[in-house]
Amino acid sequence: MSSEQPHQTPQQGRESSQPLRSPKTMTKAERRELQEKQRAAKASAKASGQANKPATKQPEGGGEKSSGKPSGKQGSGGGPSTQAQTLHQRRGSRVGGDIPRLGGGPGGNIVSDLSSRSINPRGVRIFSHFGLQQKSGAGKGLIHPAVVRLGLLFSNFQITGANARCLATLITFKHVIQDYTTPRNNTLTRHLMNHLSAQISHLVAARPMSVTMGNAIRQLKVEISGVDIDLPEQDAKESLCEKIDNYIQERITVAGQVIAQSAGFKIKNGDVLLTYARSSVVEQVLLQAHKEGKSFSVYVVDSRPMLEGKKLLAALTSAGIPCTYLLLSAIGSVIAEVSTVFIGAHSLHSNGAVHSRAGTALVSMMAKQHSIPVVVCCETYKISETVQLDSFTKNELGPMNGAFSIFPISIPRESLATENTANLEILNPLYDLTPPRNITAVVTEVGVIPPTSIGTIHMALGRMI
Amino acid sequence: MDFEASQPIVKSEFIAVVLAGFGRELQPLTSNHGDEPCPKALLPIGNKPMIDHVLAWLEPSGITDVLLVCPTPHRRSIADHVGSDASASFPSLRIDLQTYGDPQDSSFGTGSILRTFAHRIDRDFVVLPCDFIPPPSLQLTTVLNKFRMESASDGSILTSTWYEAPPQADKPSGDEWGPHASPTSIVWDERSESLLQIEVPDSIARKTDDIEIEMSLLSMYPRLKLTNKLQDSNVFVCHRSVLELLRKKRRLESLGKGFLPWLCKINHRRSKKQAYKTLLQPYRKMPTLANALKNSTLNEPGTVTYKEEDDGRITTNHGPSTRVGLIVHKAGDGIAARASNLYNYLDINRRFLEQASQNQTGPPAKVPLVDAKAQISVDSSIGQSTRVEERAVIKKSVVGRHCVIGKMAKIVGCVILDHCVVEDGAKLEGCILGGSTKVGAKAELLKCVTQAGFEVDAGGHYRNAKLEISDWTTAGAYDDEESDEDEESGEESDDV
Repeated sequence: MSSEQPHQTPQQGRESSQPLRSPKTMTKAERRELQEKQRAAKASAKASGQANKPATKQPEGGGEKSSGKPSGKQGSGGGPSTQAQTLHQRRGSRVGGDIPRLGGGPGGNIVSDLSSRSINPRGVRIFSHFGLQQKSGAGKGLIHPAVVRLGLLFSNFQITGANARCLATLITFKHVIQDYTTPRNNTLTRHLMNHLSAQISHLVAARPMSVTMGNAIRQLKVEISGVDIDLPEQDAKESLCEKIDNYIQERITVAGQVIAQSAGFKIKNGDVLLTYARSSVVEQVLLQAHKEGKSFSVYVVDSRPMLEGKKLLAALTSAGIPCTYLLLSAIGSVIAEVSTVFIGAHSLHSNGAVHSRAGTALVSMMAKQHSIPVVVCCETYKISETVQLDSFTKNELGPMNGAFSIFPISIPRESLATENTANLEILNPLYDLTPPRNITAVVTEVGVIPPTSIGTIHMALGRMI
Repeated sequence: MDFEASQPIVKSEFIAVVLAGFGRELQPLTSNHGDEPCPKALLPIGNKPMIDHVLAWLEPSGITDVLLVCPTPHRRSIADHVGSDASASFPSLRIDLQTYGDPQDSSFGTGSILRTFAHRIDRDFVVLPCDFIPPPSLQLTTVLNKFRMESASDGSILTSTWYEAPPQADKPSGDEWGPHASPTSIVWDERSESLLQIEVPDSIARKTDDIEIEMSLLSMYPRLKLTNKLQDSNVFVCHRSVLELLRKKRRLESLGKGFLPWLCKINHRRSKKQAYKTLLQPYRKMPTLANALKNSTLNEPGTVTYKEEDDGRITTNHGPSTRVGLIVHKAGDGIAARASNLYNYLDINRRFLEQASQNQTGPPAKVPLVDAKAQISVDSSIGQSTRVEERAVIKKSVVGRHCVIGKMAKIVGCVILDHCVVEDGAKLEGCILGGSTKVGAKAELLKCVTQAGFEVDAGGHYRNAKLEISDWTTAGAYDDEESDEDEESGEESDDV
């Protein structure tokens, strides 16, 4: 704490009676009052459209907690000293354009939902480095209508799940390529790349790209750059579409079937399986095993707000698999009876960590504690080169209202906490990280491997991505 | 340097069809001025022609192609307007003006118009009436986005926009100018935002107290809402295949009141769905995201609408979902309105004045030709080059361009179009004066509507009258309560 606490100052007089006392002689409460007043004055000055000033130094009343910055910078939790304040601010400004600023700074990326957060300058700091994505405009004219629609489906969470998003993206890009014509004086390879990049940024603006999408697009770009320059345009387009079809077929569809086979060997008659939320691959595994005639029962663990487990439950029960449905908080009571845990993944990282729906880490940790094998079912195209150690640096916040319409209409909306209020802020991280020590095996289409060997797969197969 | 215009890489997604109707319900405002027609689309609201409002709403949504359809007699006036300064204010719109049939033929409904111009519409289209005034909080992009999303995810074919009627508190009592619009009842589902059934007031043998809801509809949508508080804005975003369906149904003249209720029935009647399935299929130019949707974690299993057969055909589980979606705009977010009859017209103008007076920060600028001693209240709007003489009192009114308001004239709550002359001492209250109307000195008009070019004699007193040129030429006795209601009340066609 940089400023001194004048403990020896007696509690004399209220601040209002002597407004000109130096801050050093005021009591803590008075300094806080003064600060609040100044902050309110600054906020109202800002509201009348003044230019965005850089964060000013707080008055020396640094002894208080949570002296937020009136420039609207997020996150003034904890009790920072003035040095910590400036340090934080500097770090904040380095992080870049997605820090929301009141009144719109040069970064320009005002996120509408976060603006309601920044009303409260003592907002929550956690996850403040990424906010909700803003819906981009209807397209600058170069965005193909199919991509516009896809962006809308993404941002409204109509298509969720790593596989589904990647499939939708590839199908849409196939369409874009088919509709594409090379302008004069341009080559297909170069111009198509630019064209697609514009579409990709539109999709990213709608919702941050998943690892699967990223890998697929990278592969597509490799293929585009490898197109023979002498090939006539129609042939080039057809070959690209064929390559996209092959990619979908090999690395998603057939991979899913192979995984269903391999994981099926892990399921024996009379097994009690547990799965969390809904993974398209795990669903395939279970349905395939059931079709082969094995008898087992499934615990479907689910959590808010997405409640994807309900849909999985519907799919499994309509196939005739006996299921039990429970919420994440109840997992302790059933975990002892489970024989195997199957989970899906959004992506796998080179250090063996599994990036998956928020709550998976808890499930796998519980299972590990009870010595239950945890099997991750995941195709190889979900493997990412990066190393991830925690779920805070890279995550995504879901929308807090509307998009997941999970509450029955009979419940009046006013009784639900779906909006930020003055003292309540709602955060909805969608993903979390399961460390490799909690995972027993990863089933991929190239075999069943331990989690720590994930980084070697591509190298072992001699391919790039 | 490349002199050739490069072909656009991406073809635009929608074409807008703006229907400028004859404006029968706004007569006598839309009756001819001498020989020249006064098109409804050019009637000003807040001193800006109606059609400008529509085009201004259209522009930010990214639609570039506009097909503007108007009756043949109006062609010249509208072409002049569109070609002159309108195109300067809407640089990104390419407006194609087309005319249709004989204006006296009242059976030319909106449906027939679309059928006639179907060959010019080759993609998904948006139908807009020329008299829909949207509030600032409703963007056309919102409606378009909803259509895009729904047609991609479950094959909805049309998105309609309904708005809550403005509060009735300030409606003028009585039927001075013809009957009010009767409310239509609709059945809709809130969860999926679909329009399910529209009750059409059918004049033939109608049991007016019963509404029939079919069991197939109830089994698809168990939780319905029935309301008559919503009004149709006649803004439809349609899939191209809707046009094919429209072609088949030649008997349905009106889009909003005839075709749309029929279309809603397709979704839950299996026989109809089978019959029209082939019509709806071939125009799906957008890629089917069936495979992706199947894998989506939030997808409801069992309601997947498409299924890929082994030989690559796309068949369906329940048939293509031919849902009609709807967007409901609440009155609390801003008042939307349609200037479909005289009351609404007056109402909308009044609302514009309120908004304008709210937006105004300082006192109104000094306008030349307006005498200093004239009392013009803040919530009035005076057009350009209007001369207001001294001691005139203007309150809550919209006065058009090139008017002359004489001394001591008192104008309260009126809408005065361009080129009018109000002589000294005249008193106007709640009136709508057509263009070039001349009101004699010391005349008193209460809640009247005049045709363009009408001349009110000096000292005349009129109350609740529709003043038309034919009355003037007869030079007979002027009755009170003179109205041409028989013309208006029998009308079935919906006017745009």
